[in-house]
Amino acid sequence: MIEFSHVFKRYPGEYDALKDLNFKIERGEMVFVTGHSGAGKTTLLKLISAIERPTRGQALVNGRNVGRLAPRRVPYFRRDIGIVFQNYRLLFDRSVYDNVALPLVVAGLEPREIGKRVRAALDKVGLLSKERLNPIVLSGGEQQRVGIARAIVHRPSLLLADEPTGNLDIVLSEDILDLFLDFNAHGVTVVIATHDQRLIRRAGKRMLVLKHGELVHDSLGPADILQ
Amino acid sequence: MIRFLRAYLRRHAYALRVTVSQLLRAPLSTLMTIGVIGITLALPTGLYLLIANLERMSAGLDAGGQISLFLKRDVPESAAQRLAERIARMRAVERVEYISREQALAEFKRLSGFGEALNLLDRNPLPSVITVYPTRTSRPEAVEALLRDLRAIDAVESAQLDLDWVRRLHALLALGERVVLILAGLLGLAVLLTVGNTVRLAILNRREEIEVMKLMGGTNAFIRRPFLYSGVLQGLLGAAAAWLVIALVLALLEGPIAELAALYGSDARIQGLSPGATGYLLGAGALLGWLGSRISVGRHLRSIEPN
Repeated sequence: MIEFSHVFKRYPGEYDALKDLNFKIERGEMVFVTGHSGAGKTTLLKLISAIERPTRGQALVNGRNVGRLAPRRVPYFRRDIGIVFQNYRLLFDRSVYDNVALPLVVAGLEPREIGKRVRAALDKVGLLSKERLNPIVLSGGEQQRVGIARAIVHRPSLLLADEPTGNLDIVLSEDILDLFLDFNAHGVTVVIATHDQRLIRRAGKRMLVLKHGELVHDSLGPADILQ
Repeated sequence: MIRFLRAYLRRHAYALRVTVSQLLRAPLSTLMTIGVIGITLALPTGLYLLIANLERMSAGLDAGGQISLFLKRDVPESAAQRLAERIARMRAVERVEYISREQALAEFKRLSGFGEALNLLDRNPLPSVITVYPTRTSRPEAVEALLRDLRAIDAVESAQLDLDWVRRLHALLALGERVVLILAGLLGLAVLLTVGNTVRLAILNRREEIEVMKLMGGTNAFIRRPFLYSGVLQGLLGAAAAWLVIALVLALLEGPIAELAALYGSDARIQGLSPGATGYLLGAGALLGWLGSRISVGRHLRSIEPN
């Protein structure tokens, strides 16, 4: 699903945000990316979603080379990815329903089909009764669940989440984690960037540890590469 | 193919819905933009209408004009009449009108109000006049040649071609047309900039939405569409507003113009925009709106990428 080989990312006039990254994530896997702030977690997710491109090396996602992706192909590339943001990034000028429907509208689905899928996604995150509300009246945990519904409504094969529980308390975080575990159980590849060690331990899944842009630990492979 | 077409139409319908709801969400600024476009378009349109009406009213005037021949005072009446008959037979002459010295004096007395005073003069100061009407089909050069021939006649004191003011009017109208064109060009540019700026602000206001749509796999064409629609719609509504402004102005001017025309012994009325001209106006508005937003969207959408 995702294969990085010797990937470097350097922002103009800055240090290397990512250095010589090598790893492979299989289809259907669930992986946590962790490390301190500034370790490169977010940059890694940006490379996977083609928001940024590698400076060097090859990043393959879903069989496509992100570095060589033509700009006009990027939208179609992203339609097979769902993204969950720390700050939710909901649009407050429309209802919960319209927020969740966005990926389907963008893809040009039939309204009837959109209605079915949006309600299924909202039902999944337990917010079916709030489809008509403006998301601004919802609590943080509910807003994040709207964000997750939006990220899975188009049935992507890959789900990315950047600090999805960063603004939530422990109980809400565990609810959110359960949702991700459930999607993964249904075959979706899930990559979550988080520094919440409790969450990672609770999930008991593979973990990639970044430090100053380098991959220092992969719980799948031989213990600490650093040592 | 059918599926593709339906998806295409659906996306356009979506864009139109988004556009209308967005324009309605900020009714005041939408109305202001439409008003600015309306007034901007009304200016050249009104001027065009003025010129078109003047041209229409002056169309009956340029039928070759007329030549007034003032005869020498010592030419006897009978000779003058014979001359008139001779001129009437000349080529390029439609007909002549002979006004004897006595007729001229009587007419002058009647029209000037100096009747009593003129009685004090011991002799008639007015010359006899032959008014020559060239044939309607005569070209200006033929009329000039006729004028030269008539001037050469012995009995003629002076000959005056009353064409000059018609020509001046036409020259003025041609100048007016040119001014309308230049003004239309400049104000068209103003509409372009107005729409461009409105769309630019709309894009900046919706930066977050644009970024999210790009992250959800929205193509540039998809994101661009509502902005183009809103440009076209505002241009179209602006043109409609211009039409309304013109109609209002005409309604206000109708009475005074009829009065003025009556004083000149004419029943000329000002004509409003024809359906064809209205079509052009609306088309120009829509086109300018589309172009303005296209330029603006092209410039600003590229700079918005999620990060």
